[in-house]
Amino acid sequence: MPNKVHERPDAIDLAADIAPGSPIFEARAFRPEFVEGAEACRRAVLAPEEDLGLSSGLRAAIALRSAVHNKNTALIERYGADCERHELDVAQHELARGADPETLTGVHAALASHTDMICLRPREARADHLQALLSAGLTVPQVIALSELLAFVNFESRIVDGLSLLETT
Amino acid sequence: MTTLPAIRLKPLVWHPHLPPVELAEATDRQLQAMRVTPSAKKVSPYVRTLAHDPDSYVARTELFNAIMYVRDGLPRADRELGALAASTVNGCRYCAVVHARQHANLSQSDHVVSALMLDRPDALSSRDRAIYEFGQALSVTPSRAGPDHIAALKANGLSDIEIIDLIHAIAIFGWANRLMHPLGHSEPAISTREKP
Repeated sequence: MPNKVHERPDAIDLAADIAPGSPIFEARAFRPEFVEGAEACRRAVLAPEEDLGLSSGLRAAIALRSAVHNKNTALIERYGADCERHELDVAQHELARGADPETLTGVHAALASHTDMICLRPREARADHLQALLSAGLTVPQVIALSELLAFVNFESRIVDGLSLLETT
Repeated sequence: MTTLPAIRLKPLVWHPHLPPVELAEATDRQLQAMRVTPSAKKVSPYVRTLAHDPDSYVARTELFNAIMYVRDGLPRADRELGALAASTVNGCRYCAVVHARQHANLSQSDHVVSALMLDRPDALSSRDRAIYEFGQALSVTPSRAGPDHIAALKANGLSDIEIIDLIHAIAIFGWANRLMHPLGHSEPAISTREKP
C-alpha cells in the first residue's frame, strides 16, 4: 500500500518520544513524504519482498548491533523486540548483542566486523573489507543489501536523535 | 565577512569496487528499479551497483529526492551544507566534493566552501556555523548533538520545520556516505597527467 498515509504516531514518533499534538508532532505532518519514505525504507531493508537470502531474523540482529553502536535506547528496545520475535539462533543472538567479532566464526564474524566499522568508522572502509564479506560467503547482492541495512539504521538513529532533541529543547 | 582565498573544487568520478548489474542481464525488477529499458545506455555505475538490491534502491532514492529537493522549508543551500558536514565526518570525499560544489552554485559564492576547506569555521556566518556544527555533531557515532546545537539554530532564526529538514539532510548523508565511500573509490574527472 505505497500510497496509504502512514498512521501516526509512527515508529519514529515513538522512538523519539514525540507526543501526539506537540509542535514537533504537527511539524512532521508538513513533510508526509519524509514520514512515508522512512517507513518504506524500513520495510525495504528489514523485511523486503525479495530477501536475497538474508533472513528477517539476521537483518534484525544486524539492526540491533547497529542501534547499540548508536546508543539509541528506543531503537535498541525495538530491534531487541524484533530479534525476540524472530527467535534467533545462538550465533545470530551473539551478533545482535554486540559480541566481539573474534568470539564469532564464519559469516557472523565477518558481519560483526563490517557492522562495527560501517557504524563507527565509515571513513576507514576499503575494498578489502568487501572482499572479506565475499570470502565469508556473501554474494554481491547480499553485500549491497547489508550496506543499505547498516546505512538505514544509522540514518534512522540520527532522525530519532535529532527529533527528540528538538522535542525537548 | 573575512576575506579568504577562493577554493573551487574539481568534480570527481566514482568507480565501484563490486561488479555493477549489467543491463543485458538485469531482472525485470532491477530494470524497473532503475526505470530503464534493456536498450538504455547511460545508467551510472553507482545506480547499477545498488540495483543488485532493487527494493532498497527504489525506497531510498525516493526518500533522498524528497529530502534534498522538496519545496519550501529549509533553503536548498542549507541542506547542501548539512550534507557537506556529514560527508566530512564520514570521510566520503566524493559526496563532500559534489555537495560543496552544489552549495557554491546555489549560494553563488565560494566563501563557505573555502572557509571549510581551509579549516576556518571562524570565517563562517553565525547561521552557517550553527548548521555546520550541528551537522558534524549529529554525524558522529553515537551522536554528539545536544541542546546547545538546537538552541544555536533557533537563535539564528531557523523554524522547527527548517530544523526538521536539516536533520533529514544530515541523516540521509549518514546513509549515502555509508554507500558511496565503502562501495567504491573516486578520482578527478579530468586527467591531469600532463608532462611536467
